[in-house]
Amino acid sequence: MTELTSHDTAARGSFPNVSPLWVGIAVVAASVLIPGFSGNQYWSYSFTLVALYTAVAVFQNILMSEAGQFSLGQGVIFGVGAVTAASLTTLFGYPYWLSAIGGFVAGLLMGALYAGPALRVQGYYLGFVTLSAALVFPQLVIAFDSVTGGVNGVPVYVGALVTPIVGTLTPLSLLAIALAVGALSLHYVFPKTRLGRKMIVSSVSTESAQSLGTNPGVIRFIAFLIAAAGTALAGILYVPLIGFVGPTNFRVDFSVLFFLAVIVGGQGKLLAPILGIWIVYLVPNVLLADFSHLRLMIYGLVALFVMLVFPDGLVGSIEKWWTARRPADTRTSFSLQDVFDALPETAGEGAASQDDRPLVSVRGATKYFGNAVALDGAGLDIRQGTIHGLVGPNGSGKTTMLNAVSGFLKLDSGAVRLFDHDVVAMPAWKRARLGLARTFQTPRIFEALSIRDNIRIGAEGHGGAQNSGFMEALATRDLPWLDRNPSLLPHGQRRLLEILRVLESDAPVILLDEPAGGLSAEERKDLARLLVHFRDKIGKTILLVEHDLSMVWQVADDITVMELGTVAAQGAPDEIRNDANVKKLFTGV
Amino acid sequence: MTIVELVLILVRGLGQGAIFALIAMSLNVIASASSILNFAVGALMVLAGVGAYMILPSDPTLFGWIMAGLLIALGMGVFGFLQGGLTLIPLKSSVEQHSWLITTMAVSIIIGAGIHLFGGSLAFRVPSPIPPVTIYSTTTPTAYLLLIVLAVAVYLCLKWFHSRTYIGLAMSAVAQDLDASKAAGINVRRVQLASFSLAGVVLGLTGHIGAPVINISADTGIGYLLSGFTAAVVGGMGNNLGALVGGAMVGVLSMFAAYQFGGIYQDSVTMGLLILVLMIRPEGIFGLAAARKV
Repeated sequence: MTELTSHDTAARGSFPNVSPLWVGIAVVAASVLIPGFSGNQYWSYSFTLVALYTAVAVFQNILMSEAGQFSLGQGVIFGVGAVTAASLTTLFGYPYWLSAIGGFVAGLLMGALYAGPALRVQGYYLGFVTLSAALVFPQLVIAFDSVTGGVNGVPVYVGALVTPIVGTLTPLSLLAIALAVGALSLHYVFPKTRLGRKMIVSSVSTESAQSLGTNPGVIRFIAFLIAAAGTALAGILYVPLIGFVGPTNFRVDFSVLFFLAVIVGGQGKLLAPILGIWIVYLVPNVLLADFSHLRLMIYGLVALFVMLVFPDGLVGSIEKWWTARRPADTRTSFSLQDVFDALPETAGEGAASQDDRPLVSVRGATKYFGNAVALDGAGLDIRQGTIHGLVGPNGSGKTTMLNAVSGFLKLDSGAVRLFDHDVVAMPAWKRARLGLARTFQTPRIFEALSIRDNIRIGAEGHGGAQNSGFMEALATRDLPWLDRNPSLLPHGQRRLLEILRVLESDAPVILLDEPAGGLSAEERKDLARLLVHFRDKIGKTILLVEHDLSMVWQVADDITVMELGTVAAQGAPDEIRNDANVKKLFTGV
Repeated sequence: MTIVELVLILVRGLGQGAIFALIAMSLNVIASASSILNFAVGALMVLAGVGAYMILPSDPTLFGWIMAGLLIALGMGVFGFLQGGLTLIPLKSSVEQHSWLITTMAVSIIIGAGIHLFGGSLAFRVPSPIPPVTIYSTTTPTAYLLLIVLAVAVYLCLKWFHSRTYIGLAMSAVAQDLDASKAAGINVRRVQLASFSLAGVVLGLTGHIGAPVINISADTGIGYLLSGFTAAVVGGMGNNLGALVGGAMVGVLSMFAAYQFGGIYQDSVTMGLLILVLMIRPEGIFGLAAARKV
C-alpha cells in the first residue's frame, strides 16, 4: 500500500506552522463568501458548486487513503441522491426537505451496494465494478424515465434555499460551506479516532486487522457508508443549486473527476481535494470556459502531467520538498528500560485460576497445499502461564500450525480448541477477541500512526474496552519517542514494537512467529527478558515459534519439535535435549 | 424466439464477443508482463477504427483494405510502445505504485477527447470491402465473421509467441517471477514495452477489421474496456483461452439483452455478469485460486 496520511503525526515535524485544517476552512469559506458579499452571481454559483464537489472529493480521499478502497463511481452515489431528491420534489410533489431525506437514504443504499463487492474483491477489480456503475447509471436514468424524468431531466426550484440573504449569498451557499468544512474537519479528526485507526490498519494489512480482533469486511462497509453519506448530502444540495437534474449531468467522467482530483492533489493529504477540484474542475470548466470543447482534453492532460511530474500529487510533492529542506530525524529508537519500568505486574489474576486444562489445544491437524503436506496429524497443548516453544527445520509446519491456531488457515481436518471453545470454524478476528494475540514474521508496523498509536491499537482488539494499563503507565512518563513516527525505527525495534502492541491487547494467549529473526545478540537478550517478564510477572501464555534454539531452550517450559508436518518430540526442554529424534534434526542442541 | 432470431443473436453475439475477447487478450498481454491493466485499451481500439475511417476510401478495394490494416496495426504498435513508455516512467521513482492507473486512464480520456475534437459526438461509419453474407436468411456483416477468425488466430499466435519466441518466453518469465527474470539477465523494461506494442498491434487489427460494426465515437472506448475486462475476469485474468470463452459469453449475453430488453440495458447486463462472477468465482472459469499469504 502506498503512503496513507501524513497530516496526522507530529513526527513529521511541524510542516506548516498553521494547521492545514484552518487553511482549508479559510479557503473554502472565503471562496464562497467573498463573491457572495460582493454580489457576483457567476462566481457565487461556481464556488458553491466547487464547495460541494470538494466535499465529495474529501470523502473520496478518506475512502481511498484511510480505508484503502478504490472507487471510481462516487459520482453515481452523488447522482442517485440528486436524481431521487429531484424526482420526489418535482415529479411526485413532495416538499424538498422530505425529498432530500429520500435522496440521502437512496445514496446510502447505493454506498451499501458498493460495499457488497468490496467484501469479495479489492484493488482494480473494485475500481472496474464501480466504473461500470458509473457507465451504466446515466443509461438507467434514461431507461427508467417514468420515475427519473429520463433524457429530458427534471427541473427543480427551491425558493427558500436560493433566495439571497445578502448580495448573492444564499442559504444554499452557507450549507455548501458547512458541508465542505464538515468534511475537512472529519478527515482531520478521523485518523485520530478509534474507528479511523482500525480503518488504517485494515487497509494496510487485513491480516493484522484480524489479529487485532477487527473484521475488515465490517470496517470496509462502514467506510463506504461514511463516504456515501457525505457524497449523497452533496448530491441533494446540488439539486436546488443547479435547478435541473438529468442523466447528462452524471456521465462517466463525472465520477472519474473526483478520483482524479484526489490523485492530482495528493492522495491522503487534507488539502488535496481543494487543490485537486480547483485544478481538474475549476480551471477547465470556469477559467477556460471559452475553450469548453477542450475541457476533457485539458482534464486528461493535467492528470497525465501531474502524474509524470508530481507523482505524489501537488500537495504531497510540496510537502515532500518542504520537509526535505529541513534537517530530518534520521533515526528514532525507544528505550527498552522505559518499557520495563512501565510494565505492569499482575501475575496474581492470571496465575490464580491455574487449572490443568490447556488454553490452546490442537489435535490431528492436517493440511495439504495441493500435493504438499504442511501438517500431517500434528497436535499440541499449551498450558496456562507457560512459554511453549515450537521448533523444527524450515518447512516442518511451524508457521502453518501457528496460522491454524490463530485462524488464518483452514485445516483440512483436525480440532482446535481455544479457552475450551471449539474454534475450528471461527474466523481469525473472532478468535482474537476470545483473547488471542499474535505477531507476524514481518512486523506489521503502521507508518501512518505514531509509535504511541501503533501500541495502542493492540487494546482496540481483544474485548474492546480492556487494556493492560501499560500504555497509560508509559504515557505518564515524559517519553518523546512515543509521538515519533515508527518509519525511522531500526528493524529490531520494529519487532519489539509489535510485541508491545500484543502486550497492550491484554490477551492472555500470545503467539509469536520468529520474534528473534533479524535481531542482534543484545536485542535477543532483551527479547528473552521481555518474554520471561510476560510469563512470570503478567501471567501470559506464550507460543514461541523460533529458530534460535538456545533462546527457546532458555525460556520455554514445554517444547514441541516438528518435522514434515508431524510432531517429532514433545516435552520439557531437558527431556527433549537428549531425544534421539531431535538430535537427528538439530546438531548442537 | 424463432430459430432465425437465435442465429442472429448467436452470430452477432459471437462476433461482438470476439471484440471483447481481443480486448481481454490485450489486457492479459500487458498485465502478465507488468501487472499493469491498461485502461486505454478500449479507446485504443476505437482509435484504430478512426484510423480506418480516415485511410479508407468510401469504396475500398480488398488490396487497399489489407494494406490499410497493416498500416494501422503498425501505427497502433508504435502508439502502444509510446504509451507504454509514458506509463512506465513514474513507476521507476514513485512510491505511488498505482500511477499506471492514472496515466492509462488519462491517455484514455485524451484519446476520447481527441476523437471528439476531430469528429464531434457523431459515430464514424466505416465501409466494408466485402459484402455481407447470408446465414439462415439473416444478413450478417462479414466483419463479425472476420473478427471471430481474428480472435482465434490471435489466440493461437499468442500461444505460439509465449512458448516459442525469445521475447515471448521472456514475457512469461517476467510474469511468473520478476526478480528471477532480472537475475537471469532479462531486460524487464524492454519486455514490458514490447507487451504494450504487441497489445497495440492486436487492438489495431481489431479496430480495423471490426470498424464496420464497432461503435466508433468519442465516448465508446470505456464501454469496450469494461466489456473486455468482464470477458477477461469471466475467463480468468491472465488466461487467453479464458478470454476467448469469456468474450464469447459476454458477447452473446449482451446481444441477447439488447435484443430482448433494448440496447440501453446491454452495459447493465455486462456489469451484472461482472459482479456475479466476482462474487461467486473471482478467479474466473480457468483461473487458479491464488494461494493466500500470511
